[in-house]
Amino acid sequence: MPSSPKVGQAFSLPARVQRVQPRNFTRRDFLTGSAAIFALSGCAHPPAATPAPVSIVRASAYDQSLYDTVRRLLAEHRLNVRGRTVLLKPNLVEFEPESFINTHPLLVHAVYEGFRALGAAAIRIGEGPGHRRNTLDLADAAGYFRIVPRFEDVFVDLNLDAVTRVRPARPVSRIEKLYLPNTALGADLLVSLPKMKTHHWVGATLSMKNLFGVVPGGVYGWPKNALHWAGITESIIDLHAAFPRQFALVDGIVGMQGNGPIQGTPKHAGLLVAGRDVRAVDATCCRLMGIDPLKVAYLQPTGPADASLLAADIPQIAEKVSSTATPFALIPEFQWIRLS
Amino acid sequence: MLPASDLTARQNPDGGWPYTRGVSWTEPTAYAVLALLDAGASEPVRRGLAWLRAAQRPDGGWPPQLAVDQSTWVTALVALIPPGHLGDSAHSRALEWTIGSTGEESRFVFRLRQWMLGALPLAPQEPPGWPWLPGNSAWVGPTSIALLALEKEFRRSARTDLQPRLDQGRRFLLQRMCAGGGWNHGSSKALGYPTSPYPETTGLALAALRGVRSPQVDLSVAFAQRELTGCRSADAWNWLRLGLLAHNRLPGPVPSLNLPCRTVPDLALDQIVQATIEGRDAILS
Repeated sequence: MPSSPKVGQAFSLPARVQRVQPRNFTRRDFLTGSAAIFALSGCAHPPAATPAPVSIVRASAYDQSLYDTVRRLLAEHRLNVRGRTVLLKPNLVEFEPESFINTHPLLVHAVYEGFRALGAAAIRIGEGPGHRRNTLDLADAAGYFRIVPRFEDVFVDLNLDAVTRVRPARPVSRIEKLYLPNTALGADLLVSLPKMKTHHWVGATLSMKNLFGVVPGGVYGWPKNALHWAGITESIIDLHAAFPRQFALVDGIVGMQGNGPIQGTPKHAGLLVAGRDVRAVDATCCRLMGIDPLKVAYLQPTGPADASLLAADIPQIAEKVSSTATPFALIPEFQWIRLS
Repeated sequence: MLPASDLTARQNPDGGWPYTRGVSWTEPTAYAVLALLDAGASEPVRRGLAWLRAAQRPDGGWPPQLAVDQSTWVTALVALIPPGHLGDSAHSRALEWTIGSTGEESRFVFRLRQWMLGALPLAPQEPPGWPWLPGNSAWVGPTSIALLALEKEFRRSARTDLQPRLDQGRRFLLQRMCAGGGWNHGSSKALGYPTSPYPETTGLALAALRGVRSPQVDLSVAFAQRELTGCRSADAWNWLRLGLLAHNRLPGPVPSLNLPCRTVPDLALDQIVQATIEGRDAILS
C-alpha cells in the first residue's frame, strides 16, 4: 500500500472504522451554531439498508446535448428542490482549460440549469481547491467564466467563505472539531459533482472524496493537511456524514486514470453516474472503473445494515454496469484493488 | 499599479478586510495594512491595525478569522507589520509564537513515537519548516512567510537567536525544491512521482530566499522568469515579481499581463510590488 502524504503515518484503515455503527447523524448533531434545521423531502440520505437507485447514463461528449441529458437524469431521481437552496460542488484542481482534471464547466452549467428547471430558489456553485489558492483565476482558466453566465455572482470560494465550527457527533477520524463554510452548511442540498478519477492515496476520488473541497483552505491551508493528519479515509467518512442531504453526479465523460488525481492520463468513459445515495454512486463508479469498491477503504460497509449499499446489485437506472464498465489504469501500488 | 482607493473601498466596517467580500480575515487585512502603510493612507491603516490588535489571541498568535479559535500561520504575516505600527508587545508576541511554531514531523515527541513504531528514524531528515496550523506538517507557503517575518526582525533588531531558525527554514525550502527548479506547495515528489512547480509558491519561496546564492536558486529564478510571461493569476504574477526582485533578477521592463486583481491580497500585493520596484520594500523594510 502507498504511504499517505502525512509524514510517517501508515495508510491503512484503522480497526475503529470497522466498528462504526450505521449513521443516523442529523444536522443538529454536527452544528454547534444556530443553523436552521428542516427536512428536505426526497433529498436526505435514504435508510442505509435500502440503496437508492443509481443512474448510469451514456454521454459521449461535452456538448449541448448534456443539458437535456442532465435534465432527464435529475427528473428520474424525483428531487424535490422547489424553493430550496442548492450548492453545486464541482472538482476544480488545476489551471487546465476544460481538460480531464477538472469537472467540465459545461456539465456544471447543465446541472445548474437542471436544478433551476426543478424550481430551486437559489443555486450556488462552490469549490475550495486543495492545491491552488487563486480559485477564481483557476476557474477562469478552466473555462467556468466563459461557460457559466455571471459566474462570479453565483460562485463561492469555499476556501474563503465565513465558517462555523462543527463537532462530528461520532467522528471516525481524529477530527474533534471542524470549521466548515456556511454556504455549504446552509444549503438544503449539496450536490457533489466530481470527476471520475483514480487517486494515488485512496484508490479512487469520486463524490465522497470530492467533499475535501468544502474544507476551507483559509483555515487549514493548501493542501488541507489537517485532513491528512486526521486520516484521509476517516476524514472522507466524517465529511460525508457532516452533510446529510446530498446528491451526486459524477463526470465520467472523460475521467482520469493512472496517477490521479493530478498527474494521470485522460480516460474516455462516456458516462454520467448519479444518485441520492452518494456511497452507492461511488461504489457503482468503482465497478465501472474496474475497481473493487470493497477494497476502497472509505467505502467499506460500516455495519450489516449498509452492506447492501456495496452489493453488485445496487438498483440502477438506464445502463447496467456490465454493459458500460471500462477499466481505468491503476498505478502499481493500487493494482490490488482491481476488480477481479 | 492600482490606486489605494481600490483597497480602502473594500475595507469592512469593522476595520478588517475580506478576501473578496464578506467577513474580515487576518491575511487580507495584514496585506492591506502593509500596502496602505506604504501608500500613507493613515485612517484605513488605523482601523485595520485596530482590527488586528483586537484579533490577537492570548497565546500571541492570530486566527485566520474571528470565528476560528486557533492561532495559525497568519501570525507570521501580521509580524511583518512593523512594531511601531502594530505595537511593540503585539509584535513581540507574534514573533515568539512564530518562532515556536514548527512542522509536527520535526517535533521530538512525534519522531520518538514514530521511531518506536519503526516508521521513521529518530533524527530528522530535513530541517524544520513551518506548518499552516499547529500539529500539521511544514509546507512551502507558511515557511516562506515565516522566513520573511524573521528576516525582517533580524534586519531590524539583529537578534542573533533568529539565525538558526532562518538557516533551517532556508534549507527546508531548498530541499523541497522541484527537480527542475521552482516549488510546489510542499513536496518535490508525491508517491515517488515528481510534482510540478507552481508560479505563486515559486515566487514566494524565492522572496524568502533573498540573499541565498546557489545553483538551486538560479534554477528556480530561471523557472520564475519563464513563468512570468504565461501567468494566469495576479497572485502568481505578484509573487513571481517579488521573488525575482528579491534576487535582482526581474527582467525589465516586464510587460503587463492585465490580469484581474480579484482578491484583496491581489490588490495589496500589486501595490507592494510597485513600491518595491520603486525602491521601497514594503515587506522587508
